[in-house]
Amino acid sequence: MSQATATTAPETKMWGGGRSPFNVSYGKIMMWFFLLSDSFTFGALLIAYGTTRFFSAVWPDPNQVFKSFPFMGEANLPLLFVSLMTFILIMSSVTMVLAVHAGHYGDKQGVIKWMLWTIVGGICFLSCQAWEWTHLHSEGGWWGSFTDASTPISAFHHFFSPHKEAVQAALPAHGMQATHDFFNYFFTITGFHGAHVTSGVIFNIVILINTVNGTYERRGHYEMVEKVGLYWHFVDLVWVFVFTCFYLL
Amino acid sequence: MSQHHSQNEIQHYYEGDQSKLYSGIMQHHGDINSSESKKQVGRIWKVFWILLVVTVVEVILGMFFSHHMPKALVAFFFLALTLLKAGYIVAIFMHLGDEIKSFLITVLIPLTLFIWFIIAFLADGGFWLFMNSTSPTR
Repeated sequence: MSQATATTAPETKMWGGGRSPFNVSYGKIMMWFFLLSDSFTFGALLIAYGTTRFFSAVWPDPNQVFKSFPFMGEANLPLLFVSLMTFILIMSSVTMVLAVHAGHYGDKQGVIKWMLWTIVGGICFLSCQAWEWTHLHSEGGWWGSFTDASTPISAFHHFFSPHKEAVQAALPAHGMQATHDFFNYFFTITGFHGAHVTSGVIFNIVILINTVNGTYERRGHYEMVEKVGLYWHFVDLVWVFVFTCFYLL
Repeated sequence: MSQHHSQNEIQHYYEGDQSKLYSGIMQHHGDINSSESKKQVGRIWKVFWILLVVTVVEVILGMFFSHHMPKALVAFFFLALTLLKAGYIVAIFMHLGDEIKSFLITVLIPLTLFIWFIIAFLADGGFWLFMNSTSPTR
């Protein structure tokens, strides 16, 4: 008993041991640190993309590359499809945070409902990405595409702004290299992000199964929902930056 | 009784449950229909609307206006709005705004390296173009 009082006495010391100085559990701290390291991976990819773009004389115009929408044929709808994808991901982030919220209150049915919607959102986003990849692939874009020197300008001129004469004039000399670089970065970065979404959906499914089985109810808390929630929000966070770098700037 | 207690301890270690070590948000289990709970749900939906409106503004800017504005101004608007969205996601959705200050600083300080990364690499890219072309078109 005297031992117990001895250990509780220095509790005012933040870093004295016996408590988390950050007031956060080990698992959550490590998830944060993993996400921090992952942000540097994505950051490195996006900065490499920016660097290549800065040393290219011309660059494809997102309003020209991303102007298609499923079942709309040749209609010119710039940024509309990617806006839908962004909306889906933001929405699934909201349902995730609502699942975490339900977990805080020990509301098992709430966690199940919102986790299900989050998984649906993740699958919708991946389906959209699959369509967009297929579409761009049908236009000739892929890893390592546009390297053949005999490629006619007509194969890639529609990716560039038709309104800028200087860009059009530079296409014969620089257009193919820029298109090649653009698609390499596009498929690498959205692919890396899509891989994160895929693993996020798998984590979410695992957590949903555990919740349905009552694992967290027996444990007394839903902190695992919070940890995968952090990961899921990070995936949304990365998309915010990918969206800006590829589709807006 | 003591045996039961120690088994509990072991189970906690296996499940990575350190709830005894912190008085985090997980510890209070209130009523999901309480006014406090509803207030937090309201905050989540408010952030959703902010993110949606900011995204719509970005898309409209990108569709109709970005081609008639100076490039630097466009970049400034888009990056400012992106950082605004990122801030809301991290502070509210990831609850970093609810953590104590020392943890917030621990997470955010390493990210300041990005300031140097971005400036150094983009400047290098621009310099390469300057050195290798007679008439830059961008």
